[in-house]
Amino acid sequence: MSDPFRDAVRRLSHVPGVSGAMVVDANAGVAVAEELTPEVSGTAIGALAGALFSRTSQASLMAGLGELETVQLGADSGHVLIAGAGDLIVVALVSDDAQIGRVRMEAQRAAVALRAAMEPGT
Amino acid sequence: MKTPAPADLHRWSEELARNPGSLAFLPLARAYRRMGRRDLALQLCLRGLEHHPTHVEAHALLALLYFEAGERARAADEWATVLRLKPGNFEALRGMGFRHLEQGDMGKARQHLERAALIRPDDATVQEALRLIRHRESAPAPGPPVPHSPERRAVQRAAPVAPPVQQRQATTPPTVPAARPASRAPNLPPAARAQPRIEPAARPQPRFEPAWWVEPDAPAAVAPPAPAARRSPEPAAAPPDPTTLFESLLGAGPLLGVLLLDRRGLILAGGLRERDASTAEELGANLGGAIDEAIRAVTHLELGTWRGLTLEAKRAVLQIRPVGAGALVVVVAERSAPAGWIVRAADHAAALADRFVEVYS
Repeated sequence: MSDPFRDAVRRLSHVPGVSGAMVVDANAGVAVAEELTPEVSGTAIGALAGALFSRTSQASLMAGLGELETVQLGADSGHVLIAGAGDLIVVALVSDDAQIGRVRMEAQRAAVALRAAMEPGT
Repeated sequence: MKTPAPADLHRWSEELARNPGSLAFLPLARAYRRMGRRDLALQLCLRGLEHHPTHVEAHALLALLYFEAGERARAADEWATVLRLKPGNFEALRGMGFRHLEQGDMGKARQHLERAALIRPDDATVQEALRLIRHRESAPAPGPPVPHSPERRAVQRAAPVAPPVQQRQATTPPTVPAARPASRAPNLPPAARAQPRIEPAARPQPRFEPAWWVEPDAPAAVAPPAPAARRSPEPAAAPPDPTTLFESLLGAGPLLGVLLLDRRGLILAGGLRERDASTAEELGANLGGAIDEAIRAVTHLELGTWRGLTLEAKRAVLQIRPVGAGALVVVVAERSAPAGWIVRAADHAAALADRFVEVYS
C-alpha cells in the first residue's frame, strides 16, 4: 500500500532544481515526510515553513482575500515554495535557476493529491 | 543552500560543457565557493565574464572571491564595476565604502556608506563606520590614527585587520591590477575600461575575515530593493503624495491595490480598492509578522538576500517586495491576473515606493 505523503515528497524532489521536499503539519510545524539533503534540518524547515504559512494565511483571511493556496519565498540563492493542503503543507526547497513555474505546478499537484488522500473514506 | 545537491552540480557542469556561454557558470561557481574550492570558483567566474561581461552577480561574486583571497584592490575594482552596472548594490556600496575608509578618503567613504545605509539602515557595521567618519570629520586635525586611539579601535571593530590608512592624493586615479585577464578588458563596458593608471599586480595580502563583512550568500535581515526598484524615477519638484503615489498603476488592469508599509507594518502610502482603510491596516499589520518569518527562513537556509514573497489566495495574488529603509511594497491583484504582469507591476510599484522612501527618510 502506497504512502501518499512519501509519494508526494518523492515526486516533488525529483523535479529539476528541487533540492528537498517535505510534507509538514501546518499547525504543529512538524515534518510528516521529507526528502532533504543531509545538511538541511527537516525539523527547522518544518517549523519555519509552518510558521510562515500560518502567518500569511492569517493575513490573507483577515484581509478577505480568501484561503491561502501557495506561498513563494524568493531570495538570491533560491526559493522556498509552500502549497497548502488543508492541515498539511507541501514544502519545496528550490535552487535559484530552477523552472519555478514547473515546481509550483508539481507542488500544487502534490497538495491536491494530499487533500484527496486526507478526505474521509479514502 | 549550504551545499548544493550533487545532481545540480552535475547538471550545471554538463550544461557548461555543452555551452560555454551558459549562465550555469554562476550557480556552479557559487557552489564551488561554498565547498571551499575558491580557485575553481574564480576560474569559472572569469570565464563566465568573458561571455557575460556585464553580469552584475558574476562581478559581485568575483569581488567576494578576490576579497576572501585578501586581494582588496581587485575586489574594489570589481565592486566599482558592480556599481557602474547597478548603482544600488548594497554589498558593493559597503565594500567600496570600507575600501575608501581604509584609504583615508572620508568623503568617498561617507558617500558610499550613506547610500548603503539607505538600503539597509539596520546594518550595524555601516552605522559604526558612519559614526567613525562623522567623528573624524568633526575632529580639528584628523591626522593618521594612533594605534590605541578611539578612532583606531572603531576602525578595527569595523574592519579588524585593516592595513594602515594610506592617504591618497585626491587626484590619484583608481588603479587596476595588471594581472586582470587581458581578454576580458575589451568586453567590459566603456566606463569599466576607462582606468587610466596601471600598477603592478596587487601585492599579496594576508587572508582575513573581517567581522564587518556579511557575505552576500549569508543571511540578510533587510534586502535591497528589487532590481527594477533600484533605479528610481527622475526626481520631481514636489515630494510624492502618499494618497496618490500608486495611482498610475491603479488606473487600469487587474490591480486591487498597492500598499507601502514601514518596518512596523504601518501604511506609509497607497491603499486597497473597494475595501475600507481598516482592511488595509489589518493586512499591513499581519504581513509585518509574516515577513519576519520569511526572513527567518531565508536566514536559516542561507539563501542570501530576501527578494520577495508571492502569496496566492483564493481571491487575490499578493507580491511583496522589500524597498529602502526596511519598508515593504505590497501589490494586490485579482487572482486572474497574469503572473508575469504582476511581477512587472510589482517592479514598477517598488520603484515608486523606493523614491517615496528616499524622499521621506
